[in-house]
Amino acid sequence: MVNPNTPLKVALHAMDSRSVKTMIMYLQGPCKNTAMVVDETSAEVDIFDADTFNAKKLLNDYLAKPRLRPVIILSLQDLDLKDVILVKKPVKAQQMIDALAQARNSLIQMQSPSMAAGGKIATESTEESPGSKASPLKKYAINLDERKKTAKHQAAMQLSEGAFNAYIGNIPGVDVNDPKQFSKAGYRPKDYFQGFIHTAINTSREIRQVMEVCVGWRQLILFPRSNEVWLDADDKQLRAFAGLKFEDYQNSTPAVVPINPDLAELSQTPERFHSFDAFVWKLACWTSKGRYPDTIDIDQPVYLKHWPNFTRLLITPHAMRIAALLVREPRTMKDAADVLDIKPQYVFAFISAASALGLVGQAKRESDRLVQPSELKSSPQKSLLGRIISKLRGSHV
Amino acid sequence: MSQYKIIFTGPVGAGKTTAINSISDVPPIKTDASASDMTKSKKQATTVAMDYGVINLTNGEKIHLYGTPGQERFDFMWDILVNGGIGLILLLDNTRADPFQDLKFFLNSFDKFITESSVAIGVTQMDVSATPSIEDYHVQLKVLGINPPVFSVDARVKDDVSVLLQSLLYSLDPGLEEMK
Repeated sequence: MVNPNTPLKVALHAMDSRSVKTMIMYLQGPCKNTAMVVDETSAEVDIFDADTFNAKKLLNDYLAKPRLRPVIILSLQDLDLKDVILVKKPVKAQQMIDALAQARNSLIQMQSPSMAAGGKIATESTEESPGSKASPLKKYAINLDERKKTAKHQAAMQLSEGAFNAYIGNIPGVDVNDPKQFSKAGYRPKDYFQGFIHTAINTSREIRQVMEVCVGWRQLILFPRSNEVWLDADDKQLRAFAGLKFEDYQNSTPAVVPINPDLAELSQTPERFHSFDAFVWKLACWTSKGRYPDTIDIDQPVYLKHWPNFTRLLITPHAMRIAALLVREPRTMKDAADVLDIKPQYVFAFISAASALGLVGQAKRESDRLVQPSELKSSPQKSLLGRIISKLRGSHV
Repeated sequence: MSQYKIIFTGPVGAGKTTAINSISDVPPIKTDASASDMTKSKKQATTVAMDYGVINLTNGEKIHLYGTPGQERFDFMWDILVNGGIGLILLLDNTRADPFQDLKFFLNSFDKFITESSVAIGVTQMDVSATPSIEDYHVQLKVLGINPPVFSVDARVKDDVSVLLQSLLYSLDPGLEEMK
């Protein structure tokens, strides 16, 4: 519940880092520490600057979703918006203090039992856990903790062909590189942890609620606002778990439940935070083991909607070549492997990961199948570019 | 021997000097000076001519890395710099007030060069400001009708800059062979 003696926890939106720093000092000084800036996941109130770049879109998106807590909007204009606390610029300290007091009252009302009925998620998201006393302002202010999330910000690992089988794995008894066995080289993501995580992340994003994924394994928490996963396991453990079919280990029904985690405790292990994308990507690689997802028709051309953010993803062998090829025009996975003169397993693994992030499209018209993809023209500087690549790759691995 | 070069561009403070420093085989030559105009609010020193670094290839060839001065008043140099270049690395600072405006400005300024070669975009300072997201940049680029690589980049990290450069080269020719 809201403690009237502690500063109100606020999250700032549509503000650049300089505005955030100014706001932090403003709340500390002129506003007499009535509020402190925190991470979105632990905030009690949202504050928007409606006059900055992209603010309109962010605000519209925010207001279109179920409201979990009071919102204060700072604006030069008289905005006609319902159920918001408007503070007109130039903002005066007393105005801001009054707005925060109003937000605190609204929050208490939102947390009252009558309001909570039928709205369990909203209540849970704003309840303080017993051990989470208000942290000192500096801990949250500049968010230095963000830089300690080493897994989230670490540079990409580029796998060589030799490292592929050892790191990604393979499926015994199936030669995924043999065109005669392509029909056996597919897999169903829904049969694995990958499929369940995909659904859980979508749910968490949709209702903007911190959720815990319960599958009878390690604790896994989803933070939809910051697009982060916290997992109580290392990559080696996740890799092993990713390859298991649900039916092989599942004793109870998997579930995704709202949770109000102790952020102070989680921040003790910042290395266990991953971005959604990097987590889903590597999970798909490890589930695929060189196979393709059955959501992709192997006989139809595929294309890449845009390049994946490779600097923060596991780069499987030839992944950047495949991306460069498929972002140009659709090709079947087999054709991509032939054109690049690589084993199909590398294309399959890449397509699995890119597909898990929603980056793969498939041309499904009959005419797309009939039109031959264009011949890949070599750059006149191919030899030179290849030498630069070798140098860059050599300095990496 | 032919002179080959890759151009690094972007607004003041986006990390061009740092990126060249990260990837260069020789200590980069900097032409920084104390900032005396609006740039001063962003950083103490800024590049007033250009940065220069080198990637040495095994056969003795050199790839020259040139960083354009961030301040727009030096943009008369850009045409000279890009002449004969392999491709463009565009670095954008995600903490700037309107990084999309920067994106459009630089893509427009180097439009001819990009058409003749290719571009890869690195977004810096994403650990300080997570928005706009990489996805947001792709939405903007789609409107502009191009689909280049866009990566989150820490200009201090060699691997980040290396992956960005590799994507530029693969954009030019996906058929390039990797080391085996």
